[in-house]
Amino acid sequence: MAYVALIPLLPALAFAVLAPLSRAVRNRMRWVGVAGVAGSLALSFAAFAAVWPGGDEGEATYRASASIASVGGVDLALGILLDPVSAVMLIVITVVAVCVQVYSLDYMRHEERIGWYYAVLSLFTAAMLALVLADNFLMLYMSWEVMGLCSYLLIGFWHEREEPRKASQKAFLTTRVGDVGFAIGLAVMYATTGSFAFDVVLGSAAGWAPGVATAVALLLLFGAMGKSAQVPLHVWLPDAMAGPTPASALIHAATMVAAGVYLVARALPIFEASGIALTVTMVIGATTALVGGLLALVQFDLKKVLAYSTISQLGYMFVAIGAGGAVAGMFHLVTHAFFKSLLFLGAGVIIHALHTQDMREMGGLGRRMPWTAATFGAGALALAGIAPFSGFWSKDEILYAVWKGHHYVVFALALAAAFVTAFYVARLWFRVFMGAPRTLAAFAGHADTDHGDEDHGGHDGGHDESAADRRGETRWPMVLLGVITAGIGFSAPFFSEFLGHAGHWPDPMIASVSMGVALAGLGAGWWVYGRRAGAVDTEAIKARFRPAYSALDAKIYFDAAYERLAIRPFIRVTESLAVFDRIVVDGVVNGAAVLWRTATDLSWGFDRRVIDGVVNGTARLSRSAGVALRRLQSGRVQTYQRYVLGALVLLMLLIVVKGA
Amino acid sequence: MIEVGPAAFMGLAAVLFTLGLYGAVARKSAVMVLMSLELMAVSVNLNVVALSRFVTPTEMTGQVFAIFTMVVSAAEIGLGLALVLAIYRQTRSIELTTMDSLKG
Repeated sequence: MAYVALIPLLPALAFAVLAPLSRAVRNRMRWVGVAGVAGSLALSFAAFAAVWPGGDEGEATYRASASIASVGGVDLALGILLDPVSAVMLIVITVVAVCVQVYSLDYMRHEERIGWYYAVLSLFTAAMLALVLADNFLMLYMSWEVMGLCSYLLIGFWHEREEPRKASQKAFLTTRVGDVGFAIGLAVMYATTGSFAFDVVLGSAAGWAPGVATAVALLLLFGAMGKSAQVPLHVWLPDAMAGPTPASALIHAATMVAAGVYLVARALPIFEASGIALTVTMVIGATTALVGGLLALVQFDLKKVLAYSTISQLGYMFVAIGAGGAVAGMFHLVTHAFFKSLLFLGAGVIIHALHTQDMREMGGLGRRMPWTAATFGAGALALAGIAPFSGFWSKDEILYAVWKGHHYVVFALALAAAFVTAFYVARLWFRVFMGAPRTLAAFAGHADTDHGDEDHGGHDGGHDESAADRRGETRWPMVLLGVITAGIGFSAPFFSEFLGHAGHWPDPMIASVSMGVALAGLGAGWWVYGRRAGAVDTEAIKARFRPAYSALDAKIYFDAAYERLAIRPFIRVTESLAVFDRIVVDGVVNGAAVLWRTATDLSWGFDRRVIDGVVNGTARLSRSAGVALRRLQSGRVQTYQRYVLGALVLLMLLIVVKGA
Repeated sequence: MIEVGPAAFMGLAAVLFTLGLYGAVARKSAVMVLMSLELMAVSVNLNVVALSRFVTPTEMTGQVFAIFTMVVSAAEIGLGLALVLAIYRQTRSIELTTMDSLKG
């Protein structure tokens, strides 16, 4: 079973191979990334089979850990915990990652930095796989941060343009707010138990003081809210759509944003020990589910509709966990990962074909792009919660869990969210695929070719001139995800049993209510957007629902509130700090400089006058002495004789005088 | 008969020495200076011989010493004249006042 460690290591190795290469070589080496992820996929299936009932592992878990460092007597351990939950996550991540990487081969092939894209995508996959395999919170946190970095890099992939650059910063900083909570939660957890290991922490959670458990649970929840884009930390996810679409499919739909849900599901014993934290989780999830759905209603950007829909569905998962249906939440995570990445891949095809993300410029694509329409349709029906597509099953389990928990208000909110979801799905479908083409690009489709192998060599920038379906690298991942989306729902009872809960088929009452609501939403959507073939008059709708529509249009003022309450005051504080800096700090520094300059001036003067004066004075003295004395040396012998004679006379006089 | 004593010799020697000294210091011609130097040497010789004759009549020390001195003077004058000739060849002059190339 040691090969389990290879699952995250293979993509990490792919990153390590790609990262140091030159750009040109790296661009040719993108198969390394695909190979790494494909290897992980194969190993993940082997690991899944091993923990499946009847597999090699008797107790359905595999543990291994090794200490990598010791800090102050505390061992830092990297460990692997393979249990049913992580096995399921492994399958989801590797399947979606392989689909996205294969899809990107075609989608990103004209990008100058495609090699770097593959390197970061591999690193991200490695981090996500390490996160679900971690056996302690510290390793989970480290992988969590690496994912945050990769998300930042991929959102800002086109960093020549301003919008992706700003979006990447916003995403990084907003999730950072949540991560601070997560980090503090880890510190409190460590202070309480002296360990980060899952088995130690979660095993003892039931015995913690309720206050401690609540604090830790809420702090972890805060971290999860940042990563999983829950209200009020959801603002980064719609902006994150500025990144490449396949990266959005992998990171901002299927895997990274689900990491928060995974964290809460993992730490469930702490939440259960607290009790109130579960309620908070449920309330936040329900709010997010509804708010995200409502915000999706007014978006015209295809990807932003999907982003808000992701926020809403993640809210659903939090509702499930909060209501005590962690398995239902995990199941929704799985189904959502498949159908939402499918929707994003479809959106990518449409965006490349039409050069726009604005749904008002689309229309009638159903006839032009039947493959895309079929797979996208499967994803859309799953999202709306129509049986038998996967979303129906998982949503039904969530509603069932909420109903059984007697949370009737939340149940109503969840149903409202389901209605809104179905409505915006219908809006999206009729605007994009039905009706008449509204732009030249949407008209000018090639006939759909079954082999899908058109020659794109003549185009630069990776954009096709037609609204036709794309090549096999693009199509087959979507078909695979479409098949999974259509079929995975039937595994619901087995899935529950695998995760250790009693499996059941949908409750007829709940199922019919949920289906009814979804159909009502779709019907309402058809009534507004699909009934008449012509263009929908947005202005009329806007006028009729003026206050509500403008509130939604302004994203319910979340961004404006952050701007006014956090960012602008912060800038004001920094401005006054800058004044302080300029006057006081710079003053001290400049004052010291002036003082020092004066001191050196004085020192220089002393040096010049006194030290140089002594030296030059000595020189001048010896020179003038030399000038005076050279006159004695006339060179004439007789002069010297006279000196000698004079000296002799003096000497004799001296002798005469002395002698007397 | 006039008594010629040591004082007369020493007086004559003093006169000769003074004449030589004056010549050595004051004459311009190098040859004249050399001659003046010889004059001073001769006056010394005269003194030496006279004192030897009057102070120690039985000894011949002074006379021998005088002969040594004359030999040395002859050699010295030879050397001196050779120098003067060399200088003359160089500068066409034997005036001591022009010989100041060792001036400081």
